[in-house]
Amino acid sequence: MMIMKGASVSSGIAIGKAKIIKKEVLHITRKYIKDHEIKTEVEKFENSITHVLNEIDLLIKDISQSKVHTDILTTHKMILIDPEFTSKIKRSITEKLMSMEHAVSEHFDEIVNIFNDMDNDYLSQRSSDYEDVAYRLLSYVLDKRTDRFGNLDENSVLIMEDISPSAVTKIFAKNICGLCTEKGSKNAHSSIIARSMNLPMLVAVHGLLENVKENDNIIIDGNTEKVIISPDKKTLGKYSKKIEQQKKEGDKLKKVLNFKAKTSDGKRIKLMSNIEIPEEIDQVIKNRSEGIGLFRTEFLFMDADEFPTEEQQFQIYRKIAEKCAPEPVVIRTIDLGGDKLSNLLNIGHELNPNLGCRGIRISLEYVSVFKTQIKAILRANMKDNVKMMFPMISCVSEVLKAKMIIEECKNELKEQNISFNPEIGIGAMIEIPSAAITSDDIAKECDFLSIGTNDLVQYTLAVDRDNETVSDYYQPSHLSVLRLIKMTIENAHLHNIKVAVCGEMASEKKYIKLLIGLGIDELSVSPGRLLMIKNEILQTDLGKAEELVRKIFNALEDEN
Amino acid sequence: MIKKTIEIVNKLGMHARPATMIVKAATKYRSDFRIRKEDMEINGKSIMGVMTLAAEFGSELDLIADGPDEEYLIKEIVELFASKFGED
Repeated sequence: MMIMKGASVSSGIAIGKAKIIKKEVLHITRKYIKDHEIKTEVEKFENSITHVLNEIDLLIKDISQSKVHTDILTTHKMILIDPEFTSKIKRSITEKLMSMEHAVSEHFDEIVNIFNDMDNDYLSQRSSDYEDVAYRLLSYVLDKRTDRFGNLDENSVLIMEDISPSAVTKIFAKNICGLCTEKGSKNAHSSIIARSMNLPMLVAVHGLLENVKENDNIIIDGNTEKVIISPDKKTLGKYSKKIEQQKKEGDKLKKVLNFKAKTSDGKRIKLMSNIEIPEEIDQVIKNRSEGIGLFRTEFLFMDADEFPTEEQQFQIYRKIAEKCAPEPVVIRTIDLGGDKLSNLLNIGHELNPNLGCRGIRISLEYVSVFKTQIKAILRANMKDNVKMMFPMISCVSEVLKAKMIIEECKNELKEQNISFNPEIGIGAMIEIPSAAITSDDIAKECDFLSIGTNDLVQYTLAVDRDNETVSDYYQPSHLSVLRLIKMTIENAHLHNIKVAVCGEMASEKKYIKLLIGLGIDELSVSPGRLLMIKNEILQTDLGKAEELVRKIFNALEDEN
Repeated sequence: MIKKTIEIVNKLGMHARPATMIVKAATKYRSDFRIRKEDMEINGKSIMGVMTLAAEFGSELDLIADGPDEEYLIKEIVELFASKFGED
């Protein structure tokens, strides 16, 4: 038995047999051709280059790809159209009578060797680009685009060096029980997708491939971030029980799929999803979410070398809006700190980015970036189900400024004769204590409010929850936080608008009764948690929840 | 023919992205473009050539352009190096 640490992407547990999928090695026979075959062989080479270039173009056009990835793909294109490369291969075919596969594989082997001999690690890693291109080209010629995931089943724990987002979707269809990678990070796109699918997954398990053999028994424990290779009987027994429990709960949850979320005494709670990347939409629909309560748009700006254009943003927002219609899609404008945007904006180093230029402050500082996003959102609202939400609002004046900018955007679109929907719901995130305290004024100017509990707790209690030394101070149910939530809900209801909670509190079972008792109208949670939270809502009695809230307030107030 | 000597000033050196930018820029011109590092000389319009130079931070390179629009080519490439390819 061997235990290895990793970083867990989602919380589930899986037991299965290790299925190792390595980077595929193609076996190329070093063939020679006859004189009369030269012409067809050169044509074959040219045709396969054209085909693979088209393939790469399609990938580049897929705007859900990150900028880093499209940069890599652009480099791959350059490798394929490299004049030295094409002329060398043609020479090898015509002068040395090599088959195209022979010439191409020999050429790339040489290049990879040059890279491997380099002293500079960073530069020498670039050999992977050449390996990828060689694989693309040769696998096409050899017609070897076989299904690499062919032998997987529900007992498989897939072991890989790293995995791409599209591969996660593919293997999920195979119903595998878990996934474990040597590289990768929790916030990679592939991880986000695995999380929204509730697929047990660990990443960054250093030394994984050296220690796992094909068909080894494997346990992935997402709760303790461990991989157990060849567990002993006792451990296996312990985990088998846990799995049984997990399965029972899963089956129970499936039953609520078609129910509307409401309390046992009939109060409807609108239950929506938070998404980080467009690919999560499939899980949103599959789990019958009532729309998207928080569509984060940061993925568009992270790691980017240039701002996404209005057209690019419009296409992405429109697709999501159409898929969700008639249910709402709440698009949150850019919510990044200056530290994350240093590629794009000239923001000096901030000593304290959490209290610096971030969220709506960035948007109001860099109005042209803000306007591009607003226009794309206005244009995407053709089915009348899109709403716009501003992060990091600290007082009503920021909402008023943002609304003025929206009006300017509408006028500019009108002048340009671009069609858009002038009616759009506007909301503010309540995540700074000052916003909760002045929520009366903010509610007056908004069509809805949404409470971001992560930041609200962090700013109210002055605690960074990622800082382990002080993480005990991070208490979402602290009296101060509950009072701010209550105040926000009361003020919103005073102005006849709805309040949602889209922070992590809404995704945790233990806080649901509390939030309902406080009077919340809507919850927005990660897609993988929808059914669990719905089940909790169904088991909540509004009257009792309100009573619970009274008791908690009394107890906490007595304590102080 | 024009020759210009420059030094690599971006910290990561000539990795894939800068190499792509150089080749893309150079390919727009009709002139021949070669890059020399110590005793190695490569075609500056070939990404394979540019990447296998293994030019690190601080390396010195000779940029050699020859043809009808050689001045413009050299000017654009020198600017690219000076801009550190948008890094750092």
